[in-house]
Amino acid sequence: MTSRTPVPEDTTVAFEQLDVADEAPPQTARELEADRDVGEPSLRPVRPGIRRPTGTEIAVVAAAAAVAAAAAVVVVNGGVTSNASGYALLLVLNVFVFVLAGLAWRRARPWSPYGLALIGYGLASSLYCLASVSQPLVFSIGVLLWVPGTFFVWWLILAFPSGRLDNAGRVVLALSGAVLLLGCFPKTFLATSMAPAVPLARCAGACPANPMQIDADSSLATVFRHIDIAGTSTVSLLILVLLAVRFSRASRPRRRLLGPVYLFSAILLVAGGAYAVGVSWLGAPPTANDTFGFAVTAASILFPFGFIAAIALAYAYVGAALGSMVRELGVNPSVTGVERVVRQALDDPRAQLAFWLPRARRYVDRHGRQVVVDEDHTSTWRSRERTDGEATLAIVHDAALDEDPELIEAVGAETVLALENRRLQQDLLDSIAALRASRKRLAAVAAAERRKIERDLHDSAQQMLIAVRIQLELTRGQADPESKLEHQLARLGDDLDRALDELRSVAHGIYPPLLAEEGLPEALTEAARRAPVPVQLELEDVGRLPEEIETAVYFSCLEALQNAAKHGGPDVAVTIRLWWEPHLLRFSVSDDGVGFVPDQRREATGLTNMLDRLGAVGGRISIRSAPGRGTDVDGAVTVST
Amino acid sequence: MSKTEPVETPARTYRIVVAEDAYLVREGIRQVLEQEDEVEVAEFCSDLSSLLQAVERHAPDVVVTDIRMPPTNTDEGIRAAATLREESPQTGVVVISQYVSPHYAIKLFEEGSARRAYLLKEHIGHRNHLMGAIREVASGGSVVDPAVVEVLVESRTRAKNSPLAHLTPREREVLAGVAEGKSNAAIAKTLFLTKRAVEKNINSIFAKLDLADDTDVSRRVVASLLFLAETGTPFQGPA
Repeated sequence: MTSRTPVPEDTTVAFEQLDVADEAPPQTARELEADRDVGEPSLRPVRPGIRRPTGTEIAVVAAAAAVAAAAAVVVVNGGVTSNASGYALLLVLNVFVFVLAGLAWRRARPWSPYGLALIGYGLASSLYCLASVSQPLVFSIGVLLWVPGTFFVWWLILAFPSGRLDNAGRVVLALSGAVLLLGCFPKTFLATSMAPAVPLARCAGACPANPMQIDADSSLATVFRHIDIAGTSTVSLLILVLLAVRFSRASRPRRRLLGPVYLFSAILLVAGGAYAVGVSWLGAPPTANDTFGFAVTAASILFPFGFIAAIALAYAYVGAALGSMVRELGVNPSVTGVERVVRQALDDPRAQLAFWLPRARRYVDRHGRQVVVDEDHTSTWRSRERTDGEATLAIVHDAALDEDPELIEAVGAETVLALENRRLQQDLLDSIAALRASRKRLAAVAAAERRKIERDLHDSAQQMLIAVRIQLELTRGQADPESKLEHQLARLGDDLDRALDELRSVAHGIYPPLLAEEGLPEALTEAARRAPVPVQLELEDVGRLPEEIETAVYFSCLEALQNAAKHGGPDVAVTIRLWWEPHLLRFSVSDDGVGFVPDQRREATGLTNMLDRLGAVGGRISIRSAPGRGTDVDGAVTVST
Repeated sequence: MSKTEPVETPARTYRIVVAEDAYLVREGIRQVLEQEDEVEVAEFCSDLSSLLQAVERHAPDVVVTDIRMPPTNTDEGIRAAATLREESPQTGVVVISQYVSPHYAIKLFEEGSARRAYLLKEHIGHRNHLMGAIREVASGGSVVDPAVVEVLVESRTRAKNSPLAHLTPREREVLAGVAEGKSNAAIAKTLFLTKRAVEKNINSIFAKLDLADDTDVSRRVVASLLFLAETGTPFQGPA
């Protein structure tokens, strides 16, 4: 795990940081510093290639090269084989194909026995070279090696992928063992010389004599021969049937794994069966003999490619599955949606998301029901543990997916990401909603507070000033007319009148009593009367609304009206409209004044003020204006009824 | 409001009930009315229900009431006027208010303008301001504080295509007098005109504004007030 893994490593770091932020927000500066060191690894390019070979792998390849070379030397110098260079090449190829397939498998599935099995078989297959040695006993043993070799290949096929045999597999393998033993018996003990089955290994002249011969009874040889032929073809057929049954019963993820290996196995079995039936039994001509022989040779060389294909397919499938997952998870999916996408990606229609309940200490499905794991057919993937030591998410999936670790890891990581994303988004939405609600409460409180201040002003300060004004006038009535005192009192009265006017307009600016008592249309009518510019009104009787909404709309209109009066030019006229749309209170303040370029006078137009006021009660506002085209202020507030 | 012709009017005593919740203002009103020989204050009240009970008890000629009192502190004075229109139609009502907004004056007069006056509180210390209104409503007339009429005339003059634009300044002054509830004689006196000139002006105004002239002063007040208060399209019903 050296250079291939920066992506998953980074993902993990991101999660850990999220978790830390969740659990323990306060961090010391030093911790933050340390975090940065971890969080920003030097950027390494993600290499799409295959990771560099380990020392063991290099050693294995070297060993393969050595034994293959030795085998080739033995074959070429044996002086037995007619096509020595051809056979030598075949052996070298065979060694390398199996060893490389084994290395690839071991890399992808380190826990699987198949890596070692393939490597072992590849290295051992170099011993087939013994069938090119002129020493009779060695030659004969070399030829007989075909028996354990074939047996081992059948075991490979039958025990795939776990390396363990089920009952049917055990029976079939035992049967095939018996057939092989019986089949090799006549060759070993009755034949004067043994001929290699592989066409390329054919002897140049007569094959070396068989030292193990005990008799030359040709009729007995024929009986065993028939047993061999019938047995081999039957066993081939049996294995084929068993594979077919297994495949048809397999879940989809399992089929993905079995498919390529079974396909190449089937090719080998068909070729072997056909050889047995076609050549030996039906007595096909020698040319056909060669054809069948080459077919078997080719099929056995191809056989390891089934394993390579299985790994390649698994990687290709991960890529495709992740791609489709990322696409599908693009738009904030529901938990059900995530589960559907996971099932799709794993190609496992029964896969299930399970969520850890820390307090109940168990996993539940998306409906909150406890997840029951069927240990025989399913397996469980768990997300990386959080700091409190519990995996938050698990995916219960088909046991076959255990053979597909890249897929389940990638899908798992993506799922955690999607759910985390969803949670963050939900948190964000929640806090926006909370913010909106709190803004609305503040607006309501502010409106109530304004009204209270207005009441206090009208009921105390204003009443007192009015009382003083009355007393002042009474006093003036008692003073000598036209006296200095009378004039002074009159001037004082005028000052007091101005103070009262001022107080009245302050109170009105805080919360117009008319707005509180009569509502928007009356208050806007009054505002229009007081406006220094002509105002046309088109007001629907919108009835009474919550205080904070009335305040927001009223003061927005007032602000727009004052803007029009201030900036609209000397002949400006304003129209204020107020009307209902379903669930929506609408208003507009339009003028035919000089207009402006909206961006340049954002502050002066009081747009910010209006936005704040209306935003607080869930409303919106827009201003359209252009030089010479007047100004339109348009607002709307959603009113829930 | 300056209809002061005590020599012509036979001396009579007005029985009055005052309603005002602010103590200092109530004291002010007491002092203003104590100066007047023709006034006898039957009771001072400080909220709507005690006012209505006092009216029942004393059957006053005139009620002087604050516009804003307990229980709701909104427009109790106007509601009292409306109630008394039904229950005690002969009682005049002078509403004293801190609001310049014509809305309240119009609301007061909507139920009928006879025997109703709308005054700003701060002006009641002025000589004859309150007393003039009391006399006016007692004799069936109407009074509107000039400050309120001023707001209306100003805003109406500003309006686009305002019909007031066609009036001469003198005519506008006369119209304001009409809206304040003054008789022709009173208008003539304040504007230093002959009664005949006032009549001519009024005819001209009502013709220009397309209003039906009415010799009844209080009905004339409503017509002119409503005309002045008209702003844009009348309210539409709820959609």
